[in-house]
Amino acid sequence: MATTVAAPSVTGKAHKYESGIWSWLATTDHKKIGQLYMYTAIAWFVIGGIEALFIRSQLFGPNGRLVSADTYNQLFTMHGTTMIFMAIMPLSAAFFNLLIPLQIGARDVAFPRLNAFSYWVFLAGSVFMNVSWFMHAAPDGGWFAYAPLNTRQFNPGINMDFWVIGLQILGISSLAAGFNFITTIINMRAPGMHFMRMPVFTWAAFVTQFLIVLAFPIITVAVTFLLFDRFFGTTFYEIAAGADPLLWQHLFWLFGHPEVYILILPAFGLVSEVLPTFSRKPLFGYPVMVYSLILIAFLGFGVWAHHMFAVGMGPVADSIFSITTMLIAIPTGVKIFNWLGTMWGGNISFRTSTLFAIGLVGLFTIGGISGVMHSSPPSDLMQTDSYFIVAHFHYVLFGGSMMGLFAGIYYYFPKMTGRVMNERLGKWHFWLTFIGMNLAFFPMHFAGLNGMPRRIWSYDTNQGWDLDNHLSTIGAFIIAFATAIFLYNFLRSRGHGALAGNNPWDAPTIEWSIPSPPPDYNYAKIPTVTSRYPMWSQLGPAPVAPPVPTAGADQPLPTHPSADQLGIPMPTPTIKPLIATLGMVVAFVGLIWHRQIPIILLGGLIFVISLYAWVLTPLEPEH
Amino acid sequence: MTGFHRARRTVYAALTPVLVLGLAACAGFPDTIFGAHSEIGRTEDRLTYLLLILGGLVFVLVEGALIWAIIRFRSRPNATTPQQTHGNTTLEVTWTLIPAVILAVIAVPSVRAIFETQAAAAAGSLQVEVIGHQWWWEFRYPQYKITTANELYLPVGRTASFTLRTEDVIHSFWIPQLAGKRDVVHKERPNYLWFTPDSAGAWNGFCAEYCGTSHSNMRFRVFTVSPEQFAAWVKHQQSGPAFPAAAAAPAQPDTSKKAAPATPATPATTASLASADTSSATYPVDQLPKWTVPETPLPTDEHFDESTIAKADPARGAQIFKTAACIGCHTIQGVSPGIIGPNLTHVGSRTTIGAGLYPNDMKHLTMWIKDARLMKPGSIMPPMGKGLPEAMGAFDDQQIADLAAYLSSLK
Repeated sequence: MATTVAAPSVTGKAHKYESGIWSWLATTDHKKIGQLYMYTAIAWFVIGGIEALFIRSQLFGPNGRLVSADTYNQLFTMHGTTMIFMAIMPLSAAFFNLLIPLQIGARDVAFPRLNAFSYWVFLAGSVFMNVSWFMHAAPDGGWFAYAPLNTRQFNPGINMDFWVIGLQILGISSLAAGFNFITTIINMRAPGMHFMRMPVFTWAAFVTQFLIVLAFPIITVAVTFLLFDRFFGTTFYEIAAGADPLLWQHLFWLFGHPEVYILILPAFGLVSEVLPTFSRKPLFGYPVMVYSLILIAFLGFGVWAHHMFAVGMGPVADSIFSITTMLIAIPTGVKIFNWLGTMWGGNISFRTSTLFAIGLVGLFTIGGISGVMHSSPPSDLMQTDSYFIVAHFHYVLFGGSMMGLFAGIYYYFPKMTGRVMNERLGKWHFWLTFIGMNLAFFPMHFAGLNGMPRRIWSYDTNQGWDLDNHLSTIGAFIIAFATAIFLYNFLRSRGHGALAGNNPWDAPTIEWSIPSPPPDYNYAKIPTVTSRYPMWSQLGPAPVAPPVPTAGADQPLPTHPSADQLGIPMPTPTIKPLIATLGMVVAFVGLIWHRQIPIILLGGLIFVISLYAWVLTPLEPEH
Repeated sequence: MTGFHRARRTVYAALTPVLVLGLAACAGFPDTIFGAHSEIGRTEDRLTYLLLILGGLVFVLVEGALIWAIIRFRSRPNATTPQQTHGNTTLEVTWTLIPAVILAVIAVPSVRAIFETQAAAAAGSLQVEVIGHQWWWEFRYPQYKITTANELYLPVGRTASFTLRTEDVIHSFWIPQLAGKRDVVHKERPNYLWFTPDSAGAWNGFCAEYCGTSHSNMRFRVFTVSPEQFAAWVKHQQSGPAFPAAAAAPAQPDTSKKAAPATPATPATTASLASADTSSATYPVDQLPKWTVPETPLPTDEHFDESTIAKADPARGAQIFKTAACIGCHTIQGVSPGIIGPNLTHVGSRTTIGAGLYPNDMKHLTMWIKDARLMKPGSIMPPMGKGLPEAMGAFDDQQIADLAAYLSSLK
């Protein structure tokens, strides 16, 4: 491994991509790419949130008429699609990028340029799909896009074309990143970083990548069928031609259920980093935490049809999927109990990231319990496609994923930027989010049990749903207010937060041994790892986590010798992954825009040429 | 520690609305899944109760342990380094096994209920064919050769066995107060559902699977009635349209009653549906619970001259119907053969129009006929009013009122 030994000194000249906007467009540095993922994902989180505010305003009272039925259908489709594919997944990807090389003691990912490509493709796909708003033709078939409603016959407009192509583009990004991180984790661990010494976040990331590379090909196939149906007249989902409308559902959920774990496991990993640090104790039952991750991922592929208990699969299939779904609750429960075990007997400091981590444990539990309720098909027939389900998965995805990701943002912000976020604003953010989220989503349980179906644009008076919907809407606006506080804190702390130092939390893992933010090369000397918690002594950490740093807000970040000065070879910045992405976008625009063959060919040509140029350029400067 | 106490107060403040809601859930809710009125619904409810009790128990234990840990193990100024425990095999095995036992307690009755509720329906059941359309429900009773739409009559005490098909996309057939939902998936390969209603009443039904523009406007009503009332209803539905094509009677008295300038839909206007001769055959309109009387607001951009309603003549309306595009889509027994839209043979005896969207009265019917697309987003019924875009009729408001009077008379 070239990165583990100090290479001979090179007399590199200052590179043209060293600063300014070009340093971002041409970057191959996993930390910069991670930040790009984070900024972009937060932006989409805000946009998806605005969509949610429209939805909630429309549903505030009976017979709402704020938006039209068609607009409403676009809003809920894009709210789901945005939050899943453009906010939570890329926010997780931000942490994969920022943390995996740091946590395994590497200088970058295995394929730095492919990593840049993944980001640009994600950006392109998410922008592509949202351009549809400006054409009043946002996707409107639901994020699940059931056949045959997704076919040209029942959805003749351009709306679902944006969804099909956009999702295809996003899938390419996820797959490229997935293979990249698997290779990185297997091959680039520092000496002594055995698998069973790996930080649990990296374990969660590792398992998640396997879910991604196994699940995304399934949705790719499903969406390719649909793309061919919509553009080239095939009949995979055309009922009139004898297609089975359930084919799509099986393919979609065979992807869609592992996708749920793709969304939650990284948050689990982050919480497993935060809780030990602020409890001053190692993670309780590390091996079981790792095995349960693997078991959840494995079982996650055998439960998909619990999304389909109402479609009439017959009693045998219903029973089997019911029992596999119940089984998956066991390893998930073990994780909750082990987090409790981690906190038990500790000295817990309530920093903002601790609060969000505890928020995940408490709120995900609620989503987990309602999840078990769906595992019983006869009862599920009353619950499915009602607001009870909406309540359930918002407890999983907001109470679980987002809480865990926020915990991770507050915890790793110092490592990413060198400064800490404002603690007082952070606590406002947490408490308002906690209150808003429970106010928004808990009443949905009652609305659902009282018969309110999902995905409805409008409901009649006298159904007994008014109070629940009033509260949900108020809660949504409280979340929005909390998010505004977060945004201010996040943006301001980047330049004006207190200086963090290498290890502001006295955290145990090796990423805290290096400066914040880390220099390009992360580790001037590749570390040798001898334990699971190298930053804590054999006797354990200091009794209490240190207070949040408050000094140095007006001081510049510390500087470090450059890679050239130390003679560490680093990948050359390059713009070619971005150009390859643009070529791909041109081709897809040609496809959706009246199938302009010359434009498709032009895009393909740009893509192929830039790929060749990319492959023929050496990764590191020649010396 | 004041910060901590403040935090705890905030938690209590957050929990209060939850408790209020919990209590509110005990008050009567018309579409609640609890207290279902059929054996299938009760089987499903029993499992839901079991799940809620066990889930509530787990919730209390886990959240209790979490809150205890937060309070008991919060860092104190003079703390020593906690004991560096790495795990405890006995504990970890225990909290793997206890959930497994709880899940087994759920799994056994679940699997039993799956097979019980999906067994074949009892012999001699009332057969009902349900056909989902974007965005309305067609109901057929093959044993009685009845076709109707959006209003389902079921006799109390007799098992109703549903055969569920779709004409277009996937829908889902759900009456929360009677039984769990079943998707309507395929045109030729049906799904099945059965249950036996055990009390008389009027219930709301919904489409529970997203099916396009007017998914939210695909509602229906279910009337569970005594076997005698059901027999009367069947007899009535089997008869021809109440308004014989040949007759040219003057306007019905009840239409003139509606001459009063429009007021928003009130029980008084809908009650006029129950004419003397059909009141024994249809659900008594004056007894409709309020949650089955739609209050959907009228579109603000559609205007109808309501003074025409007082002068409406059903006989003229019958003539217009026979020569208009109506016949291409709607069946009226002995009059027209269309099968794209709902069967209108006894449309006057229904309590709602537009799939549970509006009360079935002259005010709403006229506006529906004039421009259904404004009344219901995505409706494929073309506008009939003169000069409207894409209209398939060129009728002035008086002609539309005549048409509506004719349809209203089809009790």
